[in-house]
Amino acid sequence: MRIFWILLKKELHSFFVSPVAYVVLALVMILNGFAFRAALSVLESAPSEGSIVSWTFHAMWFWLSYFFVFPLLTMRLFAEEKKMGTLETLFTAPVRAWQVVGAKYLASVIVYCVLWLPSLFNFKFAHWITAGQVELPAGAMAGAYLILVVMGMFNLAIGCFASSLTSNQIVAAIISFTLSLMHFLLGIFIMVVGRKISDTIVDVVNYFAATEHIRIFTAGLIDSRPIIYYLSMSLLFLSFTHHVVEFRRWRP
Amino acid sequence: MIDVQELTKQYAGRTAVNNISFKVEPGEIVGFLGPNGAGKSTTMRIISGYMPATSGRANVAGFDVFHQSIQVRQSVGYMPENAPLYTDMRVKEYLRFRAELKGLSGVTMRRRIGEVMELTGVTDMRKRLIGNLSKGYRQRVALADALVHKPKLLILDEPTNGLDPVQIRHVRDLLRSLKSKHTVLLSTHILNEVEQTCDRVIMIHQGRIRANDTPANLTRQLRSTTLLHLEIDGTGKVAEKLAEISAVRKATEEGLLVHPWRRFTLRVEPDHDVRDEVMELAMKQKWRIREMHRQLPTLEDVFVELSMNAGTPTDIPTHVL
Repeated sequence: MRIFWILLKKELHSFFVSPVAYVVLALVMILNGFAFRAALSVLESAPSEGSIVSWTFHAMWFWLSYFFVFPLLTMRLFAEEKKMGTLETLFTAPVRAWQVVGAKYLASVIVYCVLWLPSLFNFKFAHWITAGQVELPAGAMAGAYLILVVMGMFNLAIGCFASSLTSNQIVAAIISFTLSLMHFLLGIFIMVVGRKISDTIVDVVNYFAATEHIRIFTAGLIDSRPIIYYLSMSLLFLSFTHHVVEFRRWRP
Repeated sequence: MIDVQELTKQYAGRTAVNNISFKVEPGEIVGFLGPNGAGKSTTMRIISGYMPATSGRANVAGFDVFHQSIQVRQSVGYMPENAPLYTDMRVKEYLRFRAELKGLSGVTMRRRIGEVMELTGVTDMRKRLIGNLSKGYRQRVALADALVHKPKLLILDEPTNGLDPVQIRHVRDLLRSLKSKHTVLLSTHILNEVEQTCDRVIMIHQGRIRANDTPANLTRQLRSTTLLHLEIDGTGKVAEKLAEISAVRKATEEGLLVHPWRRFTLRVEPDHDVRDEVMELAMKQKWRIREMHRQLPTLEDVFVELSMNAGTPTDIPTHVL
């Protein structure tokens, strides 16, 4: 466990000494600003059932930031070390593959969580400046941030896996972007053709669809099924990553 | 310290290391010598626990490199080729990270980091970003990293690659000074490096061991004959007389220098020294000798010869193997 913390510390260090974390943070803050503004203008024009939280996370701007974040945060994790040859120094020190995979993954999850902190400030600010007229339902807030974190964990695990496959960061980014996008498009697919196909299929696909999860959670409904789904899928992709990294060792 | 038995490594149809066996005793400095692509790095990577062998067995300090990988890695300090390092870390920061990974902590760690920085001459660079260091300094940082946990075995893949002559001498002196505390296995394709540093040389070519001996023995056992240069003042058929000495294969007269001095070259059987016999002959014949110089083949000659005879192992003279 000691080794794990040392590796985690090092990974966090390389996130914050390189421009990566700051560039992504700036990007997310800008896009979140737009998403927040879009939500405000919805509330401004007519009375609405949804809270500001739910409108913010339904904005197109939010999804735009959502897709860029994962490839940018994860593409360098393994690909860079492979290219530089430092994977060799790393794995000739007494470390185990799960410690390396776990540390890199957890570091990216921590950075990802930090990215959403400024958006909390947006909501608080709106609440404060309107003297409480913009309501911040506790359920919606908790639900929104909970699903953001678990969806992030899932997509970061995909990114981690993509990065372990190649020594080229661009390729890693494209693989991770494509997989995340395919997952997202499930929900769009239902929106587009939902009326023409049977309800069973719609229900099954909705079970996996990110848009549906966001809709439920930002309404303040905390459903355990998506949480279990995302966490177990994260574990699955992490174990894939572990296998890819360990493959070097048992390859004949 | 190292015990390698019938080790073979194949990459997608290509055999990088072909059935090699060797041992390294504690306290030895052993040089792995071979042209580029001979299989040196592959063998070192297997011994350091980075990748498994296709077949065969390797033990380091009594641990199997595959099944007891963690224990092996604790007792090995490995420096890969080209010294890959994290360019976004500072020298001291990097060494601290590596020392922690290898199980050091607290005061012992800080003291040890200071020691290895001093030893490798990077103390002045401790606050510099590794990315901004020159190749020579990076190489030294990598060496400091390999040394930091006082490993029983040091495996250095081309430690002097890309260094200038002064730095090469520095590394060489450093390696010699480490001899009492560590066993060292280093690879190189520079001959005079092994000649000057190593107790033993393992020559590897096309994945096979071609020779395994001390540098001195290797050169002595070389098939090429020793040459003896002479300058003699004598009358008559000097060359014929010299050729009658039993170990002399051929005696040639190189020509007249300043009268009456003549220059001769003798080709002598390996492992023979005919200088005494030449002296006796000269006394008997009343020749005067003003120069006698024996030219031993260098390790370079062995190396070139082995590389030339690369085809099949049978091409290699048995006394070299």
